[in-house]
Amino acid sequence: MIDLNERHLEKRSFFNRLLLVYLFFGAAFLFILYKTYSLQVAGYSNYEIAALKNKTKEVLVQPVRGIIYDRNGNILVNNVPTYDLIIQPSKIKNLDAFIVELSKIINFSPEELENINKNFQQKALYNRELTIRKDLSKEEIAKFQVRSYKFKNAFIDVRYSRENRYPYLFSHAIGYVGGVNNDQLSSILKKQKLKQSETTFKYSGGFLIGKTGLENIYDSHLRGSFGIKSFEIDAKGKLLKEVGFDKSIDGKSLFTSLDLSSQKIAYDQMGERRGAVVALDLQTGGIVTYLSTPSFNVNDLSNGMSQAAFNNLINDKNKPFFDRAAQGRYSPASTIKPAIALFGIKESIVDWNFTIDDPGFFVLPEDQRVYRGWKKGGHGIINMRDAIIESSNTFFFSLAYQSDINSLIDHLAQFGFGRNICNDCFNPDSGLLPTPEWKMNNLNYGWFKGDTVNLGVGQGYMSATPIQLAYYSGFLASKGSIQGLSFINGETQNKQSFKSSLSVDDSDWEKIHSSMIGVIEDPKGTAKRLKPLKNYVVAAKSGTVELVSTETKEDYKLVRKNIGNRDHAIIVAFGPMPNPRYAVSVVIENGESGGSVAGPVAIAVLNELITE
Amino acid sequence: MKKRLDFKNFSIYFDQYLFIAITLLSVMGLFFLYSASQEDITIVAKQAVFVSFGLLLMFAVSQLDPDFYKTYSGVFLVISILLIFATTLFGKEINGAKRWLDLGFFTLQTSEIIKISLPIFLSSYLYNKSLPISSKHTFITLILIGFIFYLVYRQPDLGTGLVVFMSGGYVLFLAGLSWRFIGSAAGVFVLSLPFLWNNFLEPFQRQRILTFLDPNADPFGTSWNITQSKIAIGSGGINGKGYQEGSQAHLNFLPETETDFIFAVIAEEFGFIGVCVLLSIFFFILLRCLYLAFNARDRFCRLTIGGLSLVFASTLFINLAMVVGVIPVVGMPLPFISKGGSSLLSFYIAFGIIISMATHKKLMQR
Repeated sequence: MIDLNERHLEKRSFFNRLLLVYLFFGAAFLFILYKTYSLQVAGYSNYEIAALKNKTKEVLVQPVRGIIYDRNGNILVNNVPTYDLIIQPSKIKNLDAFIVELSKIINFSPEELENINKNFQQKALYNRELTIRKDLSKEEIAKFQVRSYKFKNAFIDVRYSRENRYPYLFSHAIGYVGGVNNDQLSSILKKQKLKQSETTFKYSGGFLIGKTGLENIYDSHLRGSFGIKSFEIDAKGKLLKEVGFDKSIDGKSLFTSLDLSSQKIAYDQMGERRGAVVALDLQTGGIVTYLSTPSFNVNDLSNGMSQAAFNNLINDKNKPFFDRAAQGRYSPASTIKPAIALFGIKESIVDWNFTIDDPGFFVLPEDQRVYRGWKKGGHGIINMRDAIIESSNTFFFSLAYQSDINSLIDHLAQFGFGRNICNDCFNPDSGLLPTPEWKMNNLNYGWFKGDTVNLGVGQGYMSATPIQLAYYSGFLASKGSIQGLSFINGETQNKQSFKSSLSVDDSDWEKIHSSMIGVIEDPKGTAKRLKPLKNYVVAAKSGTVELVSTETKEDYKLVRKNIGNRDHAIIVAFGPMPNPRYAVSVVIENGESGGSVAGPVAIAVLNELITE
Repeated sequence: MKKRLDFKNFSIYFDQYLFIAITLLSVMGLFFLYSASQEDITIVAKQAVFVSFGLLLMFAVSQLDPDFYKTYSGVFLVISILLIFATTLFGKEINGAKRWLDLGFFTLQTSEIIKISLPIFLSSYLYNKSLPISSKHTFITLILIGFIFYLVYRQPDLGTGLVVFMSGGYVLFLAGLSWRFIGSAAGVFVLSLPFLWNNFLEPFQRQRILTFLDPNADPFGTSWNITQSKIAIGSGGINGKGYQEGSQAHLNFLPETETDFIFAVIAEEFGFIGVCVLLSIFFFILLRCLYLAFNARDRFCRLTIGGLSLVFASTLFINLAMVVGVIPVVGMPLPFISKGGSSLLSFYIAFGIIISMATHKKLMQR
């Protein structure tokens, strides 16, 4: 047993030890209090934000894309509503009974039923909507609306699809829209300081981006900005209630310089033929007609096309997908002659009274090589005006022969050749303005004098796109005052407009105009057949692009048996003279005659524009 | 102040301070639980039944003389151990753990009982041993504690196992365990940590500790609970978001809101002020126990009050420390507040015994 002394000792020891443990716990609890303080008072703002972030979900709201108009206010591209049937799975207790009831009004395909059954549970769990039928017919809408009291948890909502009202007319000019890839989407959203996130779509196609043409170039203008709907959510991500809505801002409309009626005329005129037509409004520099044929249905691409159909489009031997107007490369051929003439005047190689005796060919003194004209026996004694009207090759061969190649190239660049002259064309090609350096680097040959001679009639290495030819036409028409081209009057996408520094005396411009008027009006003009097609004066220069070099007409008859070897027909024209308002270029592949094949198309377009 | 009311020959043993504080906590607990359970009145009603029964049980238990507990402590311990064996054999398996015995009307977590019966038994075993406790008694005690710890640990329930271990350890320490032994035991423990890590911890327990050491490693995986708990507490601020306004709790970001993490709900809805009020009630109870232990009638009573009050303090500390992210996640309820029958009732019993130990005076002193 324990004696009294030991009991006292035991009591002291117990008290000390219990106190020690209590002190330990006291310290521990103070530490917890401190920890709570640091969470609740010191760290409050961080945790408050974290709690807010936890319970808030932001859903993006897709904006509606802008409408595209022509210059007269005709709608070219619009958003067409389709009506989708949408249900709220979280509020539907018995799906099967619900579907049975709905099936009395709307017939669901097995695929649709599978889609409903597959997604129903998840959508219910997260309180999301489920689209069960896309694009209801009018009849189905009416049937549903009458019985809608039976289906409180189903409703019809509008979704849009992008529709070009003239799907073949503006395929290349306006282009199409399509889905975006991840990187594109990230960069689109980044501009709005948003992240990729769940989105409420207004388009049945989901996210859209302009893929080609104006839809692509003016994508950000047309797109608008995403809205943000904030929801309170629970830990599972179920949407509980809407707590905020920054409305989406719909895209701005695009008012283009395009002209529907002249585009229609150009399309009808071109028919099945391959080529391009571009026309400009000279007052504004606006592109009014922009056609590449053959065309394709742009709406098929915008709203989903099968891979097989797409492959057919891409592999079609007539290349309907290819934008000939901005990307097709054609030798300017004889249409270059007015520019060469101005070079001869500027460099004082010739004047308007200078004549040569044209025997129908030019012999290069260096190697005795013969360069032929189109007319057997030649044009005889001929001055520059007539050389343009009759399209004498010999005159321009000899003029080019006397030219310094580098100066000539600089001169031609002033007309936009080899340059991008369009502010908002989609992927424009700059054509080719060949230089001695270019030839050395690409063909491993030095520049021959014969190359310069060929350049004098727009043959050889030089090539230009129809849009460049239209610009050239407009440049001649406006006496060099036209600036870079655009589809928009006013603010354009690319502010770095092409600028020319060519200066030509007004009297020389007048003489060029007069010569080009002669091409149609003069009885010897190469395009005199166009004269009766209009009731005003038009200036023009036709060209015929030789694809295969032949010595005689008999040889060409053999060559033309293969349609692909026939000459391209080409014309640049502007009018009405003397104060031209429109300039046009037409290229018809394998059309053979610039004046009589490409010419009527150009005149028809001018007729429509001028008499409109 | 301990009090003895005389009704003619009949005495009532009662400590109004503990009784009021515990009743207050219990009622606050029901109030908190209503919000924490997303306003589920059936859960609150069930808990209210437990609370009422518990308070009655506490009162009843405190009427028995300490000698009764001293005499039958061995029987209680054997029954407790048998119950644990029964749990191993017939227990209800929930989430891979067998901790519960289905009694039809009530699911009993048997380990909750042993954390009371073990310290009482050890108090009765050690109260008359001379100081310092001899190696023989120390080892007998340690073997018993270790055995019971092992039984609970392998259920598996490391958290309760540790509390059981501590409940025995506290009594041994208070009874006068030699300092030299404590020092060498601590040394052995530290050295055997790697062995314990590899052999004693379940993979999920190791993961919890790793998560605790680096909570940002996997915020949506294992550290989700603790991250959300901290957000709940932190976003409560000084004044709290208001009753039933806690978004972390009500939108289910916070796990186990009714049980282990109920403190986070309280902190979110009542802020730092609410936390201070709640903790001061707990501190008051602990200080009252300290006072009662110092004034108990004999060594057995002292040891029992000390041991049981420290079990209470440990449970409280582990729960709070876990919820604020100071220690790894272990399943541990907040006493008198968390939902759950067994642990709730065990604390009413524990405090009933504390009151019994504190209010019964020796016959010779009468």
